[in-house]
Amino acid sequence: MFHIQIFIEYFKQYLKTRLEYRGDFFAQFATDLLFQGVNLVFILVVFSHTTNLHGWSREEVIFIYGYFLVPYAIFSTFFNLWDFNERYIIKGELDRVLTRPVHSLVQVIMETMTPESLLGVVTGLAVMGWSMSQMDYVWTMMDVVFFFLFVVGGVAIYGGIYIALTSISLFSDSKTDIQPIMYNIGNYGRYPVNLYSRIIQFVLTWILPFAFVGFYPASFLLGSSDWKTFAFLTPIVGGIYFTIGVMIWNWGIRHYRGAGN
Amino acid sequence: MLSIDARNLTKEFKVYQSRSGLLGAFRDLLDRKYRVIRAVNGINLQIKQGEIVGYIGENGAGKSTTIKMLTGILQPTSGELRVNGYDPHRQREAFVRTIGVVFGQRSQLWWDIAVKESFRLLQKVYRVPEDQYQKHMTRVIEVLEIGSLIDQPVRKLSLGQRMRCELAAALIHQPSLLFLDEPTIGLDVLVKENIRRFLREINQEYGTTILLTTHDLSDIEALCNRVIILDKGNIIYDGHLEQLRTKWGDGKRVFLELERDFPLSILEEKTGGLPITWEKRGPKIFTAYLTSKEVSVSNLIAHLLPEIAIKEMEIKEATTEEIVRKIYQEGMVHA
Repeated sequence: MFHIQIFIEYFKQYLKTRLEYRGDFFAQFATDLLFQGVNLVFILVVFSHTTNLHGWSREEVIFIYGYFLVPYAIFSTFFNLWDFNERYIIKGELDRVLTRPVHSLVQVIMETMTPESLLGVVTGLAVMGWSMSQMDYVWTMMDVVFFFLFVVGGVAIYGGIYIALTSISLFSDSKTDIQPIMYNIGNYGRYPVNLYSRIIQFVLTWILPFAFVGFYPASFLLGSSDWKTFAFLTPIVGGIYFTIGVMIWNWGIRHYRGAGN
Repeated sequence: MLSIDARNLTKEFKVYQSRSGLLGAFRDLLDRKYRVIRAVNGINLQIKQGEIVGYIGENGAGKSTTIKMLTGILQPTSGELRVNGYDPHRQREAFVRTIGVVFGQRSQLWWDIAVKESFRLLQKVYRVPEDQYQKHMTRVIEVLEIGSLIDQPVRKLSLGQRMRCELAAALIHQPSLLFLDEPTIGLDVLVKENIRRFLREINQEYGTTILLTTHDLSDIEALCNRVIILDKGNIIYDGHLEQLRTKWGDGKRVFLELERDFPLSILEEKTGGLPITWEKRGPKIFTAYLTSKEVSVSNLIAHLLPEIAIKEMEIKEATTEEIVRKIYQEGMVHA
């Protein structure tokens, strides 16, 4: 309860700051839209050469992509930890965070969140809706419930992995380039995994389980039962990865050496 | 009750040592060499509720490391630590509600929003009830003279204005212990005076314990009756400021301008037997060093008069700053 209240307070302050820099606000909006547009064009270009990818039709691939946008947008809203090393470790902002009576990770998330990224949820839903209307496919009530569960699980997977990666900065203040690599691997999850080799499929399922963020739940929501078990595992995998991420963070905080003056 | 109770408090850092040259860099890749540095070396520190204590030391003496352990930012390597009855690092979230922190070089306030909004956010973070907040903060804002500033964002404030706002922000939850790290760095005399007066007031009124680190010894002279000096991770002095001065201040210097010129030997002869050494600095101008506490200035004058008439006289005592500088340079065995 306390965290929700605090969260609302931070959100209000965020809006005040953002509205002060109006130009920035709209620029961010436009960039996000453009970025999502480019990805969609990519899919369309691929399908202008073929009508089917390993048994997936154009509409189905577009649906999976649209689904992926939803957890991804929520993830990018709250886990904007790209410049954590620069801002919190090198500039020493973490010292300040640690002198306040709220869990350090919660504070960092609230200070770096970008609620305008939530726009991606709308785009994702629109893309899904469009492809479903093309396929004349309709969800049941249960599908809607599963959709919510899967999205939460997907966000937790992404969040857990990024929290773990960000925690590296707590042990060593040298820069790592691992985050962009992760970002690229993360993108693999938004296409059907049976397009990839066995090894990549294994990695995307059991090691860096990004397939749970996009493909597995989306295929289930499309009515395919081939990956049903995997789809149902999504919230569990999410819980596990998120817990591991937070544990590594807490461990890192105990090891934190502080910024030099 | 003790605000701070540290026994044998130690912090070690592992430092990665790099070899020189390109070849060295490759060897580092395979076999890293580490060196352990003791930033704080088993210090004992007891501070009672309501004390104002100055904590000084050169850069790299271990001051910041100590403060970071006391505020729960860093976990001590070994030793026992209780601050306000808590283990600062392990019980961090409960503990930090009882302390206030001002790091002079780092802002506690949100850069882009009005100071007032930052205060409000902190009120929520520390869960301060509305009526208590109103009563307390109205007073703080008035005494620190920041009423006209709090509608502006922090980035538009001058350093002195910002520091006063930082101080107010650190007091929103009425902490019983206040950590101040370089609170007056770069401020002008009037602002410094305002801040010092305010700190004395909250100390007297609420019994707030204050631990102050600073390079500006005039802060310490104005506020603290106890001073702790840290050097290379060890406490080398812990006691009254006055005592420091009488023990390590090297007596007095008396600058004299005489009516007539005398050779140095005459003056030395006049004060023979007294612990006084002379220096001639020009025609008719001399300096007498009173190297022991036994001899007083009147003693000196009594020996010179009436043959040697004095035109001008100035007495100088070593300042705290000179004493501390001397301690840093020469080192000092544990007092």
